[in-house]
Amino acid sequence: MTVDRQPGDLRAALAKTIVGQEGVLEALLLALLSNGHVLLEGPPGLAKTLACRSLAAALEGDFKRIQFTPDLLPSDIVGTRIFDQRESRFATVLGPIFANVVLADEINRAPAKVQSALLEAMQERQVTIGPESHALPDPFVVMATMNPLDSEGTYALPIAQMDRFLMKINVGYPTREEELRILDRFAMADTQPVRCVATLDDVRAWRAAAHAVHVDEKLKRYIVDLVAITRAAQSVAVKSAGGTTLKAADLIDYGASPRATLALVFLARGRALLDGRDFALPDDVRAVAAPALRHRIGFNYRLATENVNADVVIDAMIAAIPAP
Amino acid sequence: MARKLTAPLILAAVASLACAGTGRGQTLQRLTVQAFVLSADTMQPQVDVPFHVVVTLHVRERVGQITNLQLPMLAQLELLGDERQTLTDPRGTQYREVVTVVVHDAGRFTIAPATLQAIDARDGKPKQWFTNDLPLSVRASATRVASGVAAGLLVHVARILAALIWFALLVGAALLAIFLLRRRAPLAPVRAPVAEPVSYQRAPSESERRRHQIEDALLVLRAERTRSAAVRVRAAVWRIIGAPEGETLGDVLRRPGCGEGPLRDLLVALERSAFTYDEDLAAAVDDAGAALERYAESLT
Repeated sequence: MTVDRQPGDLRAALAKTIVGQEGVLEALLLALLSNGHVLLEGPPGLAKTLACRSLAAALEGDFKRIQFTPDLLPSDIVGTRIFDQRESRFATVLGPIFANVVLADEINRAPAKVQSALLEAMQERQVTIGPESHALPDPFVVMATMNPLDSEGTYALPIAQMDRFLMKINVGYPTREEELRILDRFAMADTQPVRCVATLDDVRAWRAAAHAVHVDEKLKRYIVDLVAITRAAQSVAVKSAGGTTLKAADLIDYGASPRATLALVFLARGRALLDGRDFALPDDVRAVAAPALRHRIGFNYRLATENVNADVVIDAMIAAIPAP
Repeated sequence: MARKLTAPLILAAVASLACAGTGRGQTLQRLTVQAFVLSADTMQPQVDVPFHVVVTLHVRERVGQITNLQLPMLAQLELLGDERQTLTDPRGTQYREVVTVVVHDAGRFTIAPATLQAIDARDGKPKQWFTNDLPLSVRASATRVASGVAAGLLVHVARILAALIWFALLVGAALLAIFLLRRRAPLAPVRAPVAEPVSYQRAPSESERRRHQIEDALLVLRAERTRSAAVRVRAAVWRIIGAPEGETLGDVLRRPGCGEGPLRDLLVALERSAFTYDEDLAAAVDDAGAALERYAESLT
């Protein structure tokens, strides 16, 4: 690796501002290194916005937050063309998606048309407004949130759309000790602004380094096996909350796509780089397996009727594949 | 008169008897050696008077035969006979080989130790055991001493002696016949040397056993500096510390005693050698070898 500043420095800088939420911070950094996007599911008030804003500040990048509502239009996100009477011509006004770090808050509150516009921009990394195409900034990371507690008036994201997110993180409440530290840091003292520790050029160099991280053949086979078992999990047994033993295959309609295989490789490489290695380990794959798979597996109604937690099924499938 | 066997022939004959029924490529037996002793029924044999050399082996296992036991080179002795006996009981197996020999020249010489090659059942490693050696002092026979006495006196004395000998032989033969009919007593060594206090009799400690295994792993890695050897050594070390296959390094490091010190360094180094890129493999194997050495030292 030839980069002087390391991704670990960025993580350390963010940890000085964000208390706990290591999963969210790591997901943000992995998305940055892997050129992907993150879907967060969790209650409000868990420092998601602060994490995104801090990341942008630590990189000297732009940060934009878009609150998704039922009356939002695609043009509110990507931009539009307005007629300039003084110049007597149409001028393009770029939307809030033109930023390095974008927080799409409560993405499931907007109708499918708006969701589709955002997800297409995430995929193509460019936006067409009228006759002109505009490339999105590089790096470009979208962190979309969903609130699991309040589902009234929401538009669930289809699996095909969710597949475009590199990973999905379930954000939980902080521990008691973390909450005490939050009190000390934000209620009892003046918060310190995040210090800039890297540049956007550094991020591009890190991405290139992550792309060069070695993934051994044994690890590739392990990754393929992990994805394959989501499609044929007859041998995996899980227990419901009531103590009934079920076959995982009976709870799954369809397994993860090959995009999940690629995501696992990208994320494992990113995690290796974050750890200062230029080769990936089974631990890297194991650590990112659940976030990379959980939003790509189609569970059926029995998951709810048998009162089984989806993460329990995913963990059982991961555990069923021995690491190399 | 039977043709005398020369020394190499003796060795070959005895070795072939000891290893009777075993193929050249046969694998070693797995034994727990408890005693392995070489003795004789006299340490001061007379010239031209037969005596017995006895090899005694006791192992904890119950086996039908003992293979890969080599008798010493009996170059200064003439082999007259060989008798082997294998007895098993609940305490294990007693192997006893009695070689009848005769020596033709007076003087002092030493019979070298007998050897046994087997897998030590205590630690699973192939080893070679040795008996004690056997110093002998051979005396000239009475007939040779008497060769300088005057012929007349010799003839007279000889007649008396001959009569006495014949009488004694008759009585002895009768007693021997009675004795043998009652019970065939085993040959009792006149002076049985105490079994060598071999280290193998003491079960190695867990730390010693682990150190031996780590040193074996180091030998493998030094002999074959490849990815597959590194992967094999990694698997072996995981087995040594009791980690099942299928766990990740993180899982193993969370096991008690694995997350710190030389063992942690070793596990990390082996993980690197198993998964790093080809250009880094040589350096990774070097690091793993050094980590194996440090860990082995920490076990002493």
